[in-house]
Amino acid sequence: MFQEMWNLFLDRNDFFVGLLWEHLGISLLAILIAVLIGGLAGIVISEVQGAARPTLGAVSFLYTIPSISMLGFLIPFSGVGNATAVIALTIYALLPMVRNTYAGMSGVDPAILEAAKGMGSTRLQILFKVRLPLAMPVIMSGIRSMVTMTIALAGIASFIGAGGLGVAIYRGITTNNTAMTMDGSLLIALLALVMDFILGFLEHRMTKRSREAKKMNHRMGAAAALVCLAAAGIGMFHSREGETLHIATKPMTEQYVLGEILELLIEQDTDLEVELTQGVGGGTSNIQPAMESGEFDLYPEYTGTGWNMVLKEDGLYTEELFGELQKAYQEDYHMEWAGMYGFNNTYGLVARREIVEQYGLETYSDLVAAAGDLTFGAEYDFFEREDGYDSLCETYGLEFKDTMDLDIGLKYQALNEGRIDVMVVFTTDGQLSSADAVVLEDDLQFFPSYLCGNVVRSQVLEAHPELSSVLEKLSGTISDSDMARMNDEVETKGREPEAVAEEFLRGLGLLE
Amino acid sequence: MQTMIEFQHVKKAYGEKTVLKDFSLTVEKGEFVTIVGSSGCGKTTALKLVNGLLAPDGGEILVYGESIRRKDQTQLRRNIGYAIQGSVLFPHMTVEQNISYVPNLLNKKDRKKTKEAVAKWMKIVGLDDDLRERFPSELSGGQQQRVGIARALAASPEILLMDEPFGAVDEITRGQLQTEIRRIHSQTGITVLFVTHDISEAMKLGTRVLVMDKGEIEQYASPEELLRHPATDFVRKLTAQQRHVCRLPDERLEECEYSGVNMEE
Repeated sequence: MFQEMWNLFLDRNDFFVGLLWEHLGISLLAILIAVLIGGLAGIVISEVQGAARPTLGAVSFLYTIPSISMLGFLIPFSGVGNATAVIALTIYALLPMVRNTYAGMSGVDPAILEAAKGMGSTRLQILFKVRLPLAMPVIMSGIRSMVTMTIALAGIASFIGAGGLGVAIYRGITTNNTAMTMDGSLLIALLALVMDFILGFLEHRMTKRSREAKKMNHRMGAAAALVCLAAAGIGMFHSREGETLHIATKPMTEQYVLGEILELLIEQDTDLEVELTQGVGGGTSNIQPAMESGEFDLYPEYTGTGWNMVLKEDGLYTEELFGELQKAYQEDYHMEWAGMYGFNNTYGLVARREIVEQYGLETYSDLVAAAGDLTFGAEYDFFEREDGYDSLCETYGLEFKDTMDLDIGLKYQALNEGRIDVMVVFTTDGQLSSADAVVLEDDLQFFPSYLCGNVVRSQVLEAHPELSSVLEKLSGTISDSDMARMNDEVETKGREPEAVAEEFLRGLGLLE
Repeated sequence: MQTMIEFQHVKKAYGEKTVLKDFSLTVEKGEFVTIVGSSGCGKTTALKLVNGLLAPDGGEILVYGESIRRKDQTQLRRNIGYAIQGSVLFPHMTVEQNISYVPNLLNKKDRKKTKEAVAKWMKIVGLDDDLRERFPSELSGGQQQRVGIARALAASPEILLMDEPFGAVDEITRGQLQTEIRRIHSQTGITVLFVTHDISEAMKLGTRVLVMDKGEIEQYASPEELLRHPATDFVRKLTAQQRHVCRLPDERLEECEYSGVNMEE
């Protein structure tokens, strides 16, 4: 395992180092803002009587909001990407900052403050010459714990398409690449430790009070500030302007491969720069709003998903409705479907082999009798969507003993471990071939069609007609089994999506 | 004689509790006034009224002949030295930084003048020059009090307010510090208001002693006068021990005038 992790790190060190810098940039920016705003708030509430309680109450309330819902809540306002991540991290960092500043400020001996006042200091002089310096040790220890927390928390930023080491973790989970997940996690831990060490050193320096030490401190402080600014700059401002096509993908192995295919081909065949945001957490629910706001220009989507989740149509989607789907996208969203790949990644139900044998299962209808003993697993959006779990149970009259929310990347493992008995799969799942599971027959035709294609903003297609011909080249090139095989290459054989994508394009003779 | 500080019918209450009622007092330039009384009698309150840390509920307080009511409180305080009980030096500043705190508030630019003032006052209060770079936590209790006094005097104020400045040091050190402060007073001619709860300290240091009880003045007189003619029973009781230091019967007390109660200068 360690060997595998080490090799992966060496192989992809550009990737990891890039993510590390980005992680540092996002975290430091959030920390910097939190220190400024939180510190200021802490100072103000310790100076203004009666302001402390409501302020501390408000930041504590913000702190208790689960991070996932905080991110979801912020997306409509600040979109997907680094900005939202920085805002969310800043919000979480505020509480420790405000609380420690306030505690430090209130902890200063009132007799000393009165002495300072009695000697003729103005309010500001008392604040800056006496109160703040004396509160500094407490404030510093607050900053220290806040920094560690922020760096760790920044790992979830990838959920909303932001960069940082969370990208590696999330990609590792999605594509069944444990070494990548572990590398990402380890680097986050390492980063947090290093930062904590640096701050510990800083704290130690600050307690040194001799004149030479102070002078040295000033120099080191200035140097550190410069490094922080530089890191924040590198992390944040990777080019998001000019002739750049912003492509998003959902957190699914095949979407990672499709993303790489698109990037390779578009960058080769056009003058466009592609910025690929792989595996945006929450999939359609987070990508579609970002498409509407123009943050993303293109993403691979499935017709049935578009019909039910985006257009919010109730009925079952079949490909006869494609004309209507296309029209609604054009009229309602100024987007269109282009470059249908050919494969249909629809839902299917599978049961663990021993369950199938025990109950003699063949079709979904056979499940009705057994469901009371079985646990059903699916990723969270299957329970949410209109053509999802509730509708399935209603159609077949199923009542499972229990249900479990699982990440797409973890459910085969859960099935093998017996934590779930029946689960939803995609017909292109790479792991399907190797899983100890049997696909059941959808005898009542419950699941709709999910042909894969690209949703593109019409404005972008008009501005770059060359894009249409690129997407057309990919039309009808991937079958269900092609996709399942490529997924398996990544998930089971541990190959990089990029390598699989390149191999596929070479096979088609599309790469020069 | 010039009047430095004057209280005119001052009233001060904390909520329901009246601390000073109709308090009037005149302090002449160059006096060393010790204010003595039991705790809660209003002596610290009277002191804080002079530099505006507390505002009176009624009456007027005049410093340098002017009412302080409409004066810039910050400027007022910078021209009045202030030393208080215990160690309230700034723990994050060196001895030098502590002493130059007020001079720095007054004239930021003139570093040389400040440095000279620090050296001068460290010498006057009897602090070794190599203590400059020390922090308060590295000093003995007596040294800390000396720094406190130097800090209060560093801007050469004409008035010095002291609130039980020697409350937290041992008996021997206190004796030394008392001698120092008397010497400083006679050297500089500064007007001192010195709060203490210790009658022997009050008698030893004061050129005039103000005895207070429950917010009212019991007697305001020289130490000799206090011994000879205690104005009230309270003063009589308070000074009983001092009066008996000479071990003579009450009717022969006048013979005791220079028996040691009144200092030996």
